[in-house]
Amino acid sequence: MTEVILSGRGVTKSFRGLTAIENVDFEIPAGAIFGLIGPNGAGKSTLFNLITGYYPLTGGEIRFKGEDTSGLPTYRRNQAGIARAFQISKPFPALTVRENVRVGAMFGRPGGSQPKNVVNEALAIAGLEELADRTAEGLTVGSLRKLEIARAYATRPSLLLADEPCAGLNPIETEEMVNCLRKVRERGTTVWLVEHDMKAVTSVCDRILVIDAGQKIAEGTPQEIVADPKVISAYLGEPLEEQAS
Amino acid sequence: MNRTLALVLGAIIVIAAALLPLWIGPFYTRVAQLFFFSAGMAIAWNILGGFSGYWSFGHTVFIGMGAFSAAHIVHRLGPLGDGPLSMIVPILLAGLICGLFAAILAYPILRLRGIYFAIAMLGVSQVVGELVNNVSWFQGGIGVFLQTPVPSGTTPEDFFYYIFGGLLLLCFLISIAVRNSRFGYALLSIREDEDTAMMLGVATERYKIMAFVLSATLVGIMGSVYGYSVGYFTTYTVFRLDFSLNLIVFCLIGGIGTLFGPIIGTAVMLFITQVLLSRFLDIHLLITGAMVVAIILLMPGGIIGALRSRKRQANQVEPVEAEARA
Repeated sequence: MTEVILSGRGVTKSFRGLTAIENVDFEIPAGAIFGLIGPNGAGKSTLFNLITGYYPLTGGEIRFKGEDTSGLPTYRRNQAGIARAFQISKPFPALTVRENVRVGAMFGRPGGSQPKNVVNEALAIAGLEELADRTAEGLTVGSLRKLEIARAYATRPSLLLADEPCAGLNPIETEEMVNCLRKVRERGTTVWLVEHDMKAVTSVCDRILVIDAGQKIAEGTPQEIVADPKVISAYLGEPLEEQAS
Repeated sequence: MNRTLALVLGAIIVIAAALLPLWIGPFYTRVAQLFFFSAGMAIAWNILGGFSGYWSFGHTVFIGMGAFSAAHIVHRLGPLGDGPLSMIVPILLAGLICGLFAAILAYPILRLRGIYFAIAMLGVSQVVGELVNNVSWFQGGIGVFLQTPVPSGTTPEDFFYYIFGGLLLLCFLISIAVRNSRFGYALLSIREDEDTAMMLGVATERYKIMAFVLSATLVGIMGSVYGYSVGYFTTYTVFRLDFSLNLIVFCLIGGIGTLFGPIIGTAVMLFITQVLLSRFLDIHLLITGAMVVAIILLMPGGIIGALRSRKRQANQVEPVEAEARA
């Protein structure tokens, strides 16, 4: 059994009685690229918000490297090694690409190599060197997504939560993003990936967790997941004959 | 601009400014003194409002609090030292009091974002102003004296010209140091997107409080010197809404969040209001208001912003093309 970097037990979140995440368990092995999929509104982003501490838990516990994370503010969790790239890109628009990444490198997890080297490495991984001195304001969607990854990577995380980094990208950009995530993993960072693009998910992930309506419905290798009837019905709905009966 | 050139230019400007009172008359020395005072405060406001994006509409509270603190310290403790040196302790204590007040205020108020913080600061300045005016211990209603220990052989104009000049230089150097430090990057990231900043490991609360306290301390120090320079003041001399608003206008005109913006904005606005319009006192506010509107509409990034975008247009290929090549 490999080391577990992040684990959740009975993770639950409700917003004024509306349960968004219900009793979800998970164990993310260190060094993996782990997938998280589920239909729109299943609670994927909410789960990430719980892990980063943006929302407090209603119930259950989340352990990072064996330590309970409850009570740690967001910035402390980042300093401990949890980074997140947003689904809707949230660049610092008036700063240059390099400055955006530098913020991650200056703060983030203490120790490691010089911020300057980290910045250069992050820019290289994401393929953003040529755009480094441009303000983030005018970037295309594809470059903004890369910037999200580069900036999160610059905080030297041991776990990167990537929230739909391929959404809205064309096939070439998706390919680049997948390669970029592979490079992040090669450098020792565990990746937990939310993605709708099934081709991307199945090609890059070692294991996948599926949630629907806030509950865990399946977990397994990509092959197991695509063959799982519960997953198919969650994504495609019940076959017509069964619905009629 | 490379560093040596900047240093040489800076030194020339400082030396020129130091020699200036020798050949300009008392009137322009006073205008220059007002410029130093206003630009220094605009820079201090900009550290909080421009770098971290927390616009305060009530920074006059620190001018007033600084001035009244200095006056009460001198009255209640007696003179602390001889001549100009007697100013040092009251000025530093006034800065300390303003910094402490900001630190206490930060806990409830800096949780508010955007316009709510701005309005809360406006409220704080009004409340503190009213208290100083109506609680007799403060003597804000009848006014307080703050004697100016001008050394013999100098005029008050020249004396305060140098003090405010020194304070402006101090504020500017602090602002440069902040902008280029980790602290500065934290503030910029908070301005751009506070939630994302937290996600990147920035202890946002701590840095916001530090910026607020630093800004308040600098304004408090300048407020106390202003108190000395006017000699006698009431609440309405130092707790003034127009002080609060002018600082914002100066930064906006010059370029908010930039290093030189507050200085340039203050210079432009004071030149217009004090020099160009000094002969049209009755329509002075009308013209000033119209000019502010015009500048905001035509140059939303202020003067620095307009210069930068012109430079960018001249130097760079179209963004779309560059992205396509990359």
